[in-house]
Amino acid sequence: MTTSQALPTRAPALTAWLRHSTAAAALLGASLAAAPAPAQDLVASAPPAAAEPGTHWRPQASERLVRLSPEYLKRRIDHDFAGSGLGQALRQNGERIAHKGNTLADLQAAIERADGELRIELRHQFLAEKRAYLQLMSDQIEMRRREAETRLSLYDDMLGALSRDKAAMTPDRQALVDKQMEARQRMASTLSTVDLQVFASPGVPESRYATKYAENMGAIEQLVNRMREHDMNRSVTADGEELTKEEFIRRMASKAQGDLALLDQEVTILGYMAKLIALDAMELSERATDPELSDAALSTDSGPAEAVNFFLRN
Amino acid sequence: MTRTSNTTVAIVLAVATAAGAAAAQAGSLDNLERERAVLVAALLDPEITSAERIELVTRARPRLVDLERMVLRDDSLVGRTTPQVRRAFENYDLTFLVHSGAERNLSEIDTWLDQLGINSEAALAAEIRRR
Repeated sequence: MTTSQALPTRAPALTAWLRHSTAAAALLGASLAAAPAPAQDLVASAPPAAAEPGTHWRPQASERLVRLSPEYLKRRIDHDFAGSGLGQALRQNGERIAHKGNTLADLQAAIERADGELRIELRHQFLAEKRAYLQLMSDQIEMRRREAETRLSLYDDMLGALSRDKAAMTPDRQALVDKQMEARQRMASTLSTVDLQVFASPGVPESRYATKYAENMGAIEQLVNRMREHDMNRSVTADGEELTKEEFIRRMASKAQGDLALLDQEVTILGYMAKLIALDAMELSERATDPELSDAALSTDSGPAEAVNFFLRN
Repeated sequence: MTRTSNTTVAIVLAVATAAGAAAAQAGSLDNLERERAVLVAALLDPEITSAERIELVTRARPRLVDLERMVLRDDSLVGRTTPQVRRAFENYDLTFLVHSGAERNLSEIDTWLDQLGINSEAALAAEIRRR
């Protein structure tokens, strides 16, 4: 019996197990043959979304992407994913899962109200729908796994790009930069003195460069202030602590890693669900082939006392 | 003194020529060094009169101030570890003559000579002898 075999933990293997598990398929087939053919609209399941062409997402960690502000960076990546083939397939599959859930709820309610042959038929349909649901959920998990792995790879590339910028600042280079900054400050401290000595003399024309520079600096300061106040340039905080871009990307990578770990757990859940479906199918099959196990009013080893109620009413 | 000043001018002109020949790009630092070399050459030129020297310096000084500020504000030079940039920022007083002179209340030529170690004490202590 395939139900005694170890259940696969990865979604693709689980999908294959669902499709090709001989015992489950045989049992379902046998029980369906014993009952009237169910309505097509209840049994038909959607084709696996993961196999559709164009379900890909291939973002690139470009220089432009790395330079975006943290908040806009996340939105940009999410927007890119939503427009990709994989994002659309994930959304469509999610809608199918939601519809399938409604079907399962309806069937479950109908089973509770039904009895006899109709109840058996509905239970068969319920099993088939649960199998279809598992298939959809398995595809969903596989697509979410691909999304999480792609995100993780993208974040790794972005962190690599950021660390390459940092690594370029060698001690020698840093020493030069320090000297240059010191020189700028020294110049700033003598600006007025130099202007007084050089440009205050009569006959010396005012420096066009100095005038234009001052005008442009005024405009730059206004623009920089506006950028600082801009909604899309808000710095990201977590637990009251302001995050740098590198820290923000590392947190997103941790979240993607966590999503991958949770997906493994969801595959385990699907595995147990599949096992239960197989057991239910076995039970239904035995009830269909062995009248003694069907929902009979009396058990095979019942005594006359158990049939008393039949003789008390006419 | 005449021989010393002739030698000094020759050295300055050689440096200015070498600097001019090596300038492959007209970057802000290249322009500054070119203008500075022209100014120093003018300051040390024995052929011109004092009045002409003063006029030359007066005309060159505002241009040099702008060029020095352009170099100091040039973000493309920040962290650029070429020998020229390293040398320029190794000695602020030698590179940015006008700003340094204004800080220390010295003329450009006095600033430049002081940075080269040529001052009154050194001149008086110099010996004329065969080496």
